[in-house]
Parts: sequence; structure tokens; C-alpha cells
Amino acid sequence: MTETSVSKKNELPVVFIDDILMSLKYFTDEHEAHLKIIDPQVCINCKDKPCVQFCPVGAYRTQDGGTVQIAFQSCIECGTCRVMCPPANVSWKLPRGGFGVSYKFG
Amino acid sequence: MDKNEKLRFDVIVIGAGLSGSAAAAIAARGGLKVVMIERGQNPGSKNYFGGALYTHSLLEIYPDLWDRKPPLERPVTETGFWFLSKDGMVKATVQGGKVNSQPIDAYVALRAKFDAWWAEQAQKEGAFIIPKTLVVDFIRENGKVVGVKTDRAQGEIYAPVVIITEGVNNLLTQKLGLAKHDIKGDSAALAVKQLISLPAATINSRFGLTDNDHGVAMSVMGDVSMGLPGLGFMYTGVDCVSVGVGVTLEALREAGIKPYELLQRYMNHPMIAPLIAGGRLMEYGAHIIPEGGWKDMPQLYTDGVLVAGDAASMVNALHWEGTNMAIIAGKSAAETAIEAHQKKDFSAKTLSSYRARLDKRFIMKDLHQYRNLSHFLKTHPDFMAIYPTFLNDALGMFFTGFGKPKGQLYKDILKSLTSRRPLLKAVGDIVAFGRTIIGI
Repeated sequence: MTETSVSKKNELPVVFIDDILMSLKYFTDEHEAHLKIIDPQVCINCKDKPCVQFCPVGAYRTQDGGTVQIAFQSCIECGTCRVMCPPANVSWKLPRGGFGVSYKFG
Repeated sequence: MDKNEKLRFDVIVIGAGLSGSAAAAIAARGGLKVVMIERGQNPGSKNYFGGALYTHSLLEIYPDLWDRKPPLERPVTETGFWFLSKDGMVKATVQGGKVNSQPIDAYVALRAKFDAWWAEQAQKEGAFIIPKTLVVDFIRENGKVVGVKTDRAQGEIYAPVVIITEGVNNLLTQKLGLAKHDIKGDSAALAVKQLISLPAATINSRFGLTDNDHGVAMSVMGDVSMGLPGLGFMYTGVDCVSVGVGVTLEALREAGIKPYELLQRYMNHPMIAPLIAGGRLMEYGAHIIPEGGWKDMPQLYTDGVLVAGDAASMVNALHWEGTNMAIIAGKSAAETAIEAHQKKDFSAKTLSSYRARLDKRFIMKDLHQYRNLSHFLKTHPDFMAIYPTFLNDALGMFFTGFGKPKGQLYKDILKSLTSRRPLLKAVGDIVAFGRTIIGI
């Protein structure tokens, strides 16, 4: 991390991602979660839990006890968590055909 | 259809994006029986970009493009760079002249609308589209791909050629071993964007545009990414503005910042906020850009399979090209499929002419030339932090130096550089950047 970004981190505005997600349309698969935590214990042991920060829809949230829960319903299928989870603890699949995010404008 | 009869086509295209629909159109026009499988509700519903499309690539598939009434937004009549400091901006943009000569080189577009139309054109050429269907695996015979398995019941489809245009998350390409590894954090960027609704007249007045047939496409550097390796962008649609920022996945993770907060910070910038003030959020989204280009390219073909577009890492990050490469690679893949059908030979040897086709075009030449760009940004992590701000300082001082001895003014300007970066290192940065662009 560069000096610059550390010192500027406190300049970031607070954003309520749930408000922003209201602009998105989803076809939620009620029967199958396409994202899963492979081993909850691995998340407990993960000190930084960067997924909570880098997920562009804030789908990753920490729970009491240090586990991480995924709101797969908010996922826009970008792939960042699959690539960037430090212990590679995310089971990442695409939603079944027709499900998931459905951009109106794109 | 007989219950035991297999569903057979000449070509299967996986993914109805820009590359897929171009491939499907050209293959169908060449007389092949084509099926294109799309996982979204409709073609386009999974696609998200900045962004602008390049006229040359659209015309290459449809010379009668304009008669087909493509759902494009504004033509790009002003383009260039905006260099942001914390509270200022230096603009280096171009308009008129070459940029404004017909046909205009680039058009702003919205992918959900455009890709639906783009797929419809492929359908008009005779391609068959199956939406809401995910390809989960391949069917292999004697180790060779002869079709695909979908997530539908009895969803097996056979064809001697499969064109993979699955996009940046190229899990199927990886499954075949054509891509040796997943996307890498240091050579891929996560871009987030807000589409903001504004009246066309407001956009015209704020961006200095004569009418709705004029528009801007801007690359934004510096404070937009908080100095992280990345870029911002700004595009005008007819009655909407696309505003977004992308940074490499690794930088994003290391900085520990939320991408949508980085975007909001950019939107709050004193030079940017007035442009989008009063606008309503129409849609938010995010997408990974495979900026590794040449170095992350998978093997482009094997027996019965061709790969194109983002799945094949066909992106030139510096020039914002990718959509045009995707379209032309899709076309080249289809031409290769047609050739293979004529020869009745679908071996890797025959399909290798795909690579030869791409080698002849700008695609492989450019990707090769810019092969070290990701590496440059990785080894010069402060590049985006130092120079855009210096540029603001330097020009700011130059144009406000009234009544000051100019000798001192130039010393101050030099000092504003050397306080950020020793002179020799700055020269080294410029030389390294130049070498990266020239490709030596």
C-alpha cells in the first residue's frame, strides 16, 4: 500500500451500499446459493477479511464470532472474491441460467 | 424431435456478448447452423462497461450498420485526459478535426440495450439463441470437445466447433486447460460505475456540447484513484452520464478501501460534482477488466474450440480498446469455423488459422506491443499519484505567476516535481513509460 492511499483513506465518504443496490434488478435463485464460504473456520482465522472491503456490492459481512456471511442475492458476478480471497475460501460459481443480476442499462 | 436424437449444430457460441454475437452472425452468414447460448435473461443483461464502442468494428460486421438503427448513445466528439489533483484539474482533450470527421470513431453505448440489439442482428443472419442457459461443461469424445453440457434438463448440445466468448471469468477456458491460471490480481482491474440520469440539455450545457449529436469520453487520472494504479472515466449518453473508476484488484485489496466509496469520492470531487449535480442514479454495477493482455492470454484454440474476447484477455488498457478486439476476434473465429467446415477438419491444426488471422490484424500487434503495461504499473505504483498532481501544480503556478520573477517560478515548478520524485527517478519513469508504450 502506498503512503498516499493510507493517508487519504480517511477522506473516503461513507456510502450506504444497500441504497445504491436499489438501482439493480436481480432474478434471485431461491433454491441455490452460487457463492459459499468453503470453511467458516478459515474466515475466523483470516485477520484482515479484505472481502468485506473489496466486494463492490458489500455482499461480505462479518458476523459475531468472526465468521463471514455472503449475501449472494446482491452478487453481480464480477469475480473479485474468487480471485482475491487470500485463503481462497470462496466457492464461486455462476448463478444458474436466467438467475442473478440483470442489468437494465449496462 | 426424436427423443434419442441429439441436438446438433455446426457451431456453438458460448455467450451472447459483443464477441459472441459477431461470431454467430458471421458463421450464420457463411451458411453454418449456429446456436448461441446465453446465461442472462437476455443478451446484454450480464454486460457492463464504461463505455464507448468503436465504429470500425461494428461496420466490419455490418457494412449497412446505420440502416439497422443501432441503439447507440452520443458520438464521441471530444475525448482525452483529465488529470485530477485533490481540488483541481488539467484537461488535455481533443475535439473537432479528426475526432469530428465522419464516420465518428466511437459512440457511447449502454450494453444491456446494445448487446440485445447486437444479438438480434445475429438472429437475423440465422443464428439461433438460447437465453437463460448456463454452459457448465463440455462433452468430449476421444479427449476432444464435441459439444457442451448446459444446466437445462437434457441440455446437451453437439457441434464440431465451440467458440468460447464467456467473458472475463473464463472458467470454461480454464476447465479446458487453455488458460493456465485464473485471473490475476495484479493484471486485472475492478471497475465500478454509476449511471446518472440528467436531462440532455443539462448535459449539453455542462459539458459544452452543441447538441445531442456531440458527446465526451474522458480518461481520468490522479486523485480519482487516490493515486492507486487505476483510472477513472466519464462518458456522456443522450440523457445520462457514466461515471466510474477502476483500480487493479491487488491495489484495491491492499489499500483496504471499498470500491463504491472510492467512486463516491471521485463523484464528490470539486471539479466533477458540478457536472453530475442533481442527477439521479439509474444503475450501479461493477466488472473486472482483464488488463493483462498479451501476458495473460490463454491458448486461443485447441481441437474443436476457439476462444475470443475478454475470455482471451483481449484488452488494451491504455487505449481503452477491448470491445473492438472482441468483435473482430469473434469474426475471425467464425471465419475459421467456416474454413474448418469446408475442410471437414476441426483439429487444432486447422483451427490454428484463427491465430494467423489475428496476427494479421491490430489485435496481436497491439497486445504484444503493450505486453509490459501491467508490469509497469506494478513496478511504478506511485505513477498515478505523482504526475497528475504535479501537472496541476506546474500549470497552476505557470498561469498565476504574475508579478513574480520567472526564474523563481521555474525553480518552484521544478521543486514541486522533485519534492515528489527525485529528478533522475522522474526521468527514469518517463523513459520506462515510453519504453512500455513503444513495446521495447
